[in-house]
Amino acid sequence: MSYSRRQFLRDSGIGLLTFQLAGCGKQMTPEQAHDAGVTPQKLSKTEAETLAALGEVLLPGSADKGLVEFIDQQLAAPVEAQLLMIKYVGPPPPYDGFYQGGLAALDQVARAAEGTTFAKLPAERQVSMVGDMAQGKLEPWEGPPPPFFYFVVRNDAVDVCYGTKAGMEALGVPYMAHIEPPSPWGHPGEPADG
Amino acid sequence: MAEDHVDAIVVGSGAAGSNMAARLATGGKRVKILEAGRARSNDHLVSSTLWARRLKWTGEPVLEDGANPVGHVFNAGRGVGGSAMHHYAVWPRMHAEDFECRSRYGRGLDWPISYEDLRPYYDRVQAESGVSGDAEQETWRPSGAPYPMPAVPLFDQGRIIRRGFKARGMTTAPLPLAVTSTTYDDRQPCIWDGWCDAGCPIGALANPVTIDLPKATAAGAALATDTQVVRILTSDDGSRATGVEVVGPKGRQLLYADVVVLAAFAVQNPRLMLASATDHHPQGLGNSSDSLGRYVMTHPAGLIYGLFAEPTRPYMGAYGGQLVNQDHYAKDSHVRTGAFGSYQWMIAQAVKPNDLLGIATTRVDLFGQDLHDFMQRAAQHFATMTAVVEDLPVAENRVQLSADQKDANGVPLAQVTHTTDPASKALWNQTLIEGQDVFKAAGAREVWTGPQGAMHIMGGTIMGDDPDTSVTNSYGQTHDLPNLVVAGPGLFPTSGGVNPTFTVHALTARSADHLLANWPV
Repeated sequence: MSYSRRQFLRDSGIGLLTFQLAGCGKQMTPEQAHDAGVTPQKLSKTEAETLAALGEVLLPGSADKGLVEFIDQQLAAPVEAQLLMIKYVGPPPPYDGFYQGGLAALDQVARAAEGTTFAKLPAERQVSMVGDMAQGKLEPWEGPPPPFFYFVVRNDAVDVCYGTKAGMEALGVPYMAHIEPPSPWGHPGEPADG
Repeated sequence: MAEDHVDAIVVGSGAAGSNMAARLATGGKRVKILEAGRARSNDHLVSSTLWARRLKWTGEPVLEDGANPVGHVFNAGRGVGGSAMHHYAVWPRMHAEDFECRSRYGRGLDWPISYEDLRPYYDRVQAESGVSGDAEQETWRPSGAPYPMPAVPLFDQGRIIRRGFKARGMTTAPLPLAVTSTTYDDRQPCIWDGWCDAGCPIGALANPVTIDLPKATAAGAALATDTQVVRILTSDDGSRATGVEVVGPKGRQLLYADVVVLAAFAVQNPRLMLASATDHHPQGLGNSSDSLGRYVMTHPAGLIYGLFAEPTRPYMGAYGGQLVNQDHYAKDSHVRTGAFGSYQWMIAQAVKPNDLLGIATTRVDLFGQDLHDFMQRAAQHFATMTAVVEDLPVAENRVQLSADQKDANGVPLAQVTHTTDPASKALWNQTLIEGQDVFKAAGAREVWTGPQGAMHIMGGTIMGDDPDTSVTNSYGQTHDLPNLVVAGPGLFPTSGGVNPTFTVHALTARSADHLLANWPV
């Protein structure tokens, strides 16, 4: 039995985004982009590594679900097309500085305490550091308020893990869509509602 | 610059704007609706908690400060249909005492109308838009016609929470929802899948694209999208509005009308009026009383969460809930604790795993495997209800123009300051106590609460009888320029403890009747 593109979209739930792969725009889910090793457009290599490591502490498996690729792709999208939850709770866009500032601050704390970046810390140390971040106890922190940064990235991780059809159904929650997330969506240049 | 002239320009295509446009157009007026955002139809309402974020405000930034910001992005909307495209359609009526707060209690403000003035419009609107409910079970409900559709169904979550209310001797009734519980005017019934926040593409929920915009355009109203109003034009002597200046697909234009209706919601309306100051109106249009922008309100939300042993299936139902309780709506019911005001419980909201109102966000303390474990437990056993708490009007809670930041068209950004009145804060605290008791009485294994939420935005262009203390009269006409009309929740002098959209429709219907009967105003 053939597996149509429409069926694929329906089953993937989160829908497709356009990622830059080898200089060409290609439609993929964040998870596929992660597997394909897509180079981030907005985040540096170090920032991407730190974000992936942070995501794994906040919600294990989120990096493989494409957390880095999702956030990076969204930061490259026009504001009206962005789907990040920070829109509800954060400072006015653009949000690049928020994410980059938080990731840099996290690495700064890691270097001050352990002499290396957050991504290279032992897992137990990463967990204790994230716990301190949630309570605003990280020093020296020069970025967005640590508990707020924790809140936002944690919810991004929840989005890629549980905000999809597959993620909801993994919880036994029937998706019951009227209109499935179409393709393409969210890519730079796309009309917000078109 | 090109010139154009119609009978009425309506700024904004949300609940108030589309309703006003439909009424004026069917009343024989030539109407042009100006929407700053994009064209949008029900086909754009993708069932996704992520996609839903595109329905919210995506326009120029609104600067917020104060201890309790109004949450503009979440509460506002941008694009055809405005914020009503993602509203939850909880449509209770305000109570008689809401209109007489100052007279009865010496606190807050009075409205220039009574409940009885608005009652026939509530009745008319609920027949037009379709509201499901059970008036007899709502023992607190003000007088009025019964609901035109049967009550919404009850699912597991609602049944489970209801026993907590019963155990405490409290009453519940089906939540009045502008959602179809049966076929209504060719609209199909809701299937209770909990996607209201992402917009309802099947026409079950009474949003502007389903109800009023088709009426408006069928009667000849023109809808222009991507068209931002940047200034209200006035006559040389400053006595009347003459039109608006817009920036849109045709560049910068001047559009003229006999009547200008501002229906761009509670923040952008006063922003535009303040930004349109002239020599005759140096403090902004309609601001001779210095009331413009003041008394901004947002309902403090009392958020109760719990886990139950039995399955709750919390994903079923409507986003607004299944049941309502208004047992303690009387404003002095908790006055001995320092609290004052009205509140209601919206009970058993449908929830999704993620997003701002989703399950994961209720336990921000959890991360790692603990969060996964919680999600597995909660997905089938979670329950929630929300207190809609009255926010007393405070003059210092206001919309102002930013002193140093402007949008791309040169219009100063809105700066919104809001700090909850201590008596409202105390009432919010009381609801948390009561709500947790209800959940415990219902048998919850775990009960917890959320931070103070900000639901709805009201005030900023309040109506009143006295031109020295209010912006408009009871029909939304500004005291200073009678053909400059405000529509929407910005007119509310007090917030009450109920959701505002039904009252917005009723006020708009009353205003439209008056304008049509007295044209040219």
